[in-house]
Amino acid sequence: MTDKDTSGSSAAAAKGVGARLRRREDWRHLRGRGQFVGDIRVPGMLEVAFVRSASAHGIVRDIVIPDEYRDQVFTARDFPGVKPIVAVPKIDGFKYSEHPALATDRVRFAGEPVAMAIAPTRAMAEDIADSVFVDIEELPAVVDTVAATLPGAPLIREEWGDNVYVARDAEFGDLAAARREAAVVIEREYRMNRQSAVPLEGRAILAVWDDRLDELCVYTGSQSPHQTRVGMAQVLGIEERRLRLISPDMGGGFGAKRVLYPEELMVAALALKLKRPVRWLDDKREHLLSAIHCREHHHKVKAYADARGRILGLDVEVYVDAGAYSHWPNSPFMETGMVAKNIPGPYDVPSYRCRSYTVATNKSPIGAYRGVARPAACFTIERTIDEIAHAVGREPWEVRVENMVPEHAMPYRSITNLIFDTGNYGESVRRAAGLIELAGVRARQKQGEADGRLIGVGFAAFTEQTAHGCGEWVSRGTPVIPGYESATARMMPDGSLMLMVGIVSHGQGLETALSQIAHQELSIDPAHVSVRHGDTQVSPFGMGTFASRSMVMSGGAVARACRLLRAKMAAIAAYALKCEAEALRFEDERVHGPEGSMGFDEIGRIAHLRQEALPPGMEPLLDVTTTYEPQVDTGVFTYATHAAVVAVDPDTGKVDLLDYACVEDCGTVVNPMIVDGQIIGGIVQGIGTALYEEIPYDENGQPLATTLGDYLMPGAPEAPPIKIGHMVTPTPHTEYGMKGMGEGGAIPPPAAIANAVRDALRGLGAELNETPMTPQRVRAAIVAAAEGVSRTTRVHREGEVLQ
Amino acid sequence: MKAAPFSYRRAATLDEALAAGGESSRFLAGGQSLVPMMNLRLTLADTMIDISGLAELRRSAGEGDRVFIGAGVTHAMIEDGRIEDPSRGYLRHVAGGIAFRSVRNRGTLGGSLAHADPAADWPTALLALGAEAVIRSAGGERRLPLARFQLGLMETALRPDEILVGVTVPALSDLARWSYQKFCRKSGEFAHSIAAVVRDPVRELAEVVLGAAGDKPCRLGRVSALLAEGGRVDPQQLGQVVDEDVRDTTGLAASSYEFHLHRTMVVRACARLQEQT
Amino acid sequence: MKLALTVNGAPVAGEIEDRMTLADFVRDHCGLTGTHLGCEHGVCGACSVLVDGEPVRACITLAAAVDGRAVTTIEGFEDDAAMAVIRECFSEAHGLQCGFCTPGMVIMVRDALARGCCGSEHQIRDQLAGNLCRCTGYAGIVKATEMARDRLAKAG
Repeated sequence: MTDKDTSGSSAAAAKGVGARLRRREDWRHLRGRGQFVGDIRVPGMLEVAFVRSASAHGIVRDIVIPDEYRDQVFTARDFPGVKPIVAVPKIDGFKYSEHPALATDRVRFAGEPVAMAIAPTRAMAEDIADSVFVDIEELPAVVDTVAATLPGAPLIREEWGDNVYVARDAEFGDLAAARREAAVVIEREYRMNRQSAVPLEGRAILAVWDDRLDELCVYTGSQSPHQTRVGMAQVLGIEERRLRLISPDMGGGFGAKRVLYPEELMVAALALKLKRPVRWLDDKREHLLSAIHCREHHHKVKAYADARGRILGLDVEVYVDAGAYSHWPNSPFMETGMVAKNIPGPYDVPSYRCRSYTVATNKSPIGAYRGVARPAACFTIERTIDEIAHAVGREPWEVRVENMVPEHAMPYRSITNLIFDTGNYGESVRRAAGLIELAGVRARQKQGEADGRLIGVGFAAFTEQTAHGCGEWVSRGTPVIPGYESATARMMPDGSLMLMVGIVSHGQGLETALSQIAHQELSIDPAHVSVRHGDTQVSPFGMGTFASRSMVMSGGAVARACRLLRAKMAAIAAYALKCEAEALRFEDERVHGPEGSMGFDEIGRIAHLRQEALPPGMEPLLDVTTTYEPQVDTGVFTYATHAAVVAVDPDTGKVDLLDYACVEDCGTVVNPMIVDGQIIGGIVQGIGTALYEEIPYDENGQPLATTLGDYLMPGAPEAPPIKIGHMVTPTPHTEYGMKGMGEGGAIPPPAAIANAVRDALRGLGAELNETPMTPQRVRAAIVAAAEGVSRTTRVHREGEVLQ
Repeated sequence: MKAAPFSYRRAATLDEALAAGGESSRFLAGGQSLVPMMNLRLTLADTMIDISGLAELRRSAGEGDRVFIGAGVTHAMIEDGRIEDPSRGYLRHVAGGIAFRSVRNRGTLGGSLAHADPAADWPTALLALGAEAVIRSAGGERRLPLARFQLGLMETALRPDEILVGVTVPALSDLARWSYQKFCRKSGEFAHSIAAVVRDPVRELAEVVLGAAGDKPCRLGRVSALLAEGGRVDPQQLGQVVDEDVRDTTGLAASSYEFHLHRTMVVRACARLQEQT
Repeated sequence: MKLALTVNGAPVAGEIEDRMTLADFVRDHCGLTGTHLGCEHGVCGACSVLVDGEPVRACITLAAAVDGRAVTTIEGFEDDAAMAVIRECFSEAHGLQCGFCTPGMVIMVRDALARGCCGSEHQIRDQLAGNLCRCTGYAGIVKATEMARDRLAKAG
């Protein structure tokens, strides 16, 4: 079922694009020799513990520090030069606010940093932090996302007049016609609850002042060190040339390490102030409290369809719970903007209206967790299309296929101006149905289970915009436009190669995959390639790893740089071998001419040490820096269909995953092993969203899941075996035809599982429209159905109106 | 997430441990419940007295038709069958389902009972086995049926100057049957409901215990009586009796999720038992 | 308090705060940073080490409690034959991505294999339930464990 990619010779395939090359990163990690920020010790290092607000909303009356610790506790007052973080996107109507790194007169979420305590050990720093009393006059907490927008709600910022960062209303096509012509109207509310990204390694920062270089060296797990440097330098009031950021090994990111955190800013500020090394390591409790939150959406949907289940129009109202502050550089508008654009999914939707509210509440600020708003968009459209299918009495997967944008229509401009470049969406659905063995599942359902569990199967499809460039980011209003990526390719005098890139590999195996590209272009053995990433001093300015962009953007830059290098090497070799450059062949780290060959080491030596052998007029060195952007900035669209088979225990409400399949197309694949790993990892995070992960808040704004004892993450038994099918439709817009795919796995599982639960509970008339689908919620849905609480599905058949 | 300061001392003998105990100190066995709470600063103690090295607590011995299992015996020792299992596989089954292997290597039976978290396994499982707590103080030894040892949420009959040194459990006969049903949302976490059933007509045991349902595990009297009658139990009757007992012991509304979960677990445990007969 | 124990076969002595965990001891006092802190309350398993040959969670074990014992961290398996096979299989089967959970994971895999508890996929997943991985989705880890089981069995 896999269309083989045809790039390169078979020799290249062994180590180039398409090779299942084992990762060089493995050696150090399997021996515990990785170097994470927490592993770096510097003499004289001080450890930080933060004093955090216990209240969700209040006025800070006093911060009482015991006399003996006066020199070891710092508040905002001790940093007059540190400006607040201001993250206001260039979007009409987005209200202005400031995010002080340490709270000044107000606290706006439980866990907000108020002061810093320092000591030689973290344990002592925590002792000191515990002794600080923060006197807060509590104000009513704003907790319910929708209620926060109603008149009369307590205000988080009086000057706003409401709790809405920005409200938008966009309408496309003729929705009135859709309402008139519809044979089926589906009305639903969907809710995804708040969660966190929780990489296994939390946030970490070690800031060291260097007198020799007159710079602050900051080791920090950051997915975008160059971007973060920009923000940090601005807020600290220091020139960028005096600030170096290094991301060493990172224990996962997933978007949680993409923003400029107040804690990181203050650690850097403290190191600047004291001229002593200062370190802060995020523990899991403070991570769950104050690292980015995500996923909390509330959608109200009216869908209009014809009698066959063809969508005529969608009318949606979207509430995104953005938390108390706007992070930099991903303001919360990005989440809302994305969900508005992606609700129509991979479908041909003729009319669409989206009213959206980006809501401020007294909770930790949100960020862009894997998939960002797409899981919520997918949940809404995929649940809705299933309901349409049920209303017209057809198999959901078939109704999907009929609504999908067909291959022959591409490139296709969607109703929200996403340009789907290539792909056969319908085929991915068909293949997913095959991979999940749909006929077998239906037969099993007919038989029934001896233990009384109910079996169900559900599908969910999506498109993922990846490697989008300038135009797309401008439309999102981000302060930094990550529309390109850069790379330096440097061949050493001995013919070995260094690649210096601005992205940050933190699990994606880019040290390996990028060396595969160098092999593809130069024939250099990946074992002779070093990939340096994550260090602002080493690579040219680059944007970092997020938005499923690194392979396309950085891979493209590396390919380009290697080709430029190759051209120069060819010119040197042609001169030395006395032939035309066009007659040369690069193979096994030698350049072969019609009469003789030269090793890369010889070429390297000429370029650096023996310039008399260079062609006349050629400059020495083999050092190329270049940037890259795909040929379109509207992104290249990976797509997939997932299918889940569940067994629901109707008495306990427990949902077990019996089978899971994914058919995906991300264009040309550089390293299939790494791609499968990204898909599966994403799927299991999606399962976490679907069934387990939640940070509920009480009416006082207190989070109710603050340790991994309450915040449940999937372990090995919770992850089913996952079948993956691949389709390969190279895109014309990138190097080798590759598309990004890192986030995709996390997008559809909540929808696929909810649809499977819906299928399982069809006989009971129950639906789940909220994540996570805990046993309580499943059971509540069953009970509600039994009590006759109906959803609104109006089906017009021959003049009859059904409830 | 580092603990607040405390002093550590290791007791070389039980007498030394008893002498050191007091209001502001805690006994440390495996530490699998206590140390996380100390790290989270949810529990504060001036002194931790390590009793994990006491050989006299890490043993088992026959006592007529009962067996003494020392409080220092780890879950892994029971899981692996390194101490003789007088319960026809019941204790091994329960032990093997506690948390994770690395926790089982250090966590102890006595620690679990003394900690008295109602969602843990041993408080419920051992109650259903008719266990008896063996308690030592400087003044001597006393024994309590486990039901009188368990007082409430994280609360036992242990006085500050006492240590739980072990339990005694009956050596079950060939006719014994058991079922242990635990409901967790994910593998290894604390249970949200536990139904433990042990029936041994020879030892006159008919114990149906519901755990993770209230402040402490509760014996379900009517269901246990029904079980003691022997013979086939009508499912309808079983359901009714279970509902009554769950209502009386938990006070939960019959319409609540928790009520339905608990009654489901108990009914299933009883049904499993029936299947074995 | 004063502490004397064996770490990776070598005697180690130190003067520590009574409250110091074994995880902090090996990381900060011994400089063995391969043992990672993922949660510090005993849930994630990233800190798994061996004490007298049996796996424990170093973040919820007091250093003082293992005075006189033998501790083995990930760094102590350089010459271990079973671990060499496990490492090879993890790399072949893509059982790691960011590497943060990996030291604790392979230590638990080695223990589960040694106890013969990896007969089926279901069993393997069960044995590894206490080691969280946020990156891989566990597929590569399970496959690596199966491969290692089969290779170690063949090697006798």
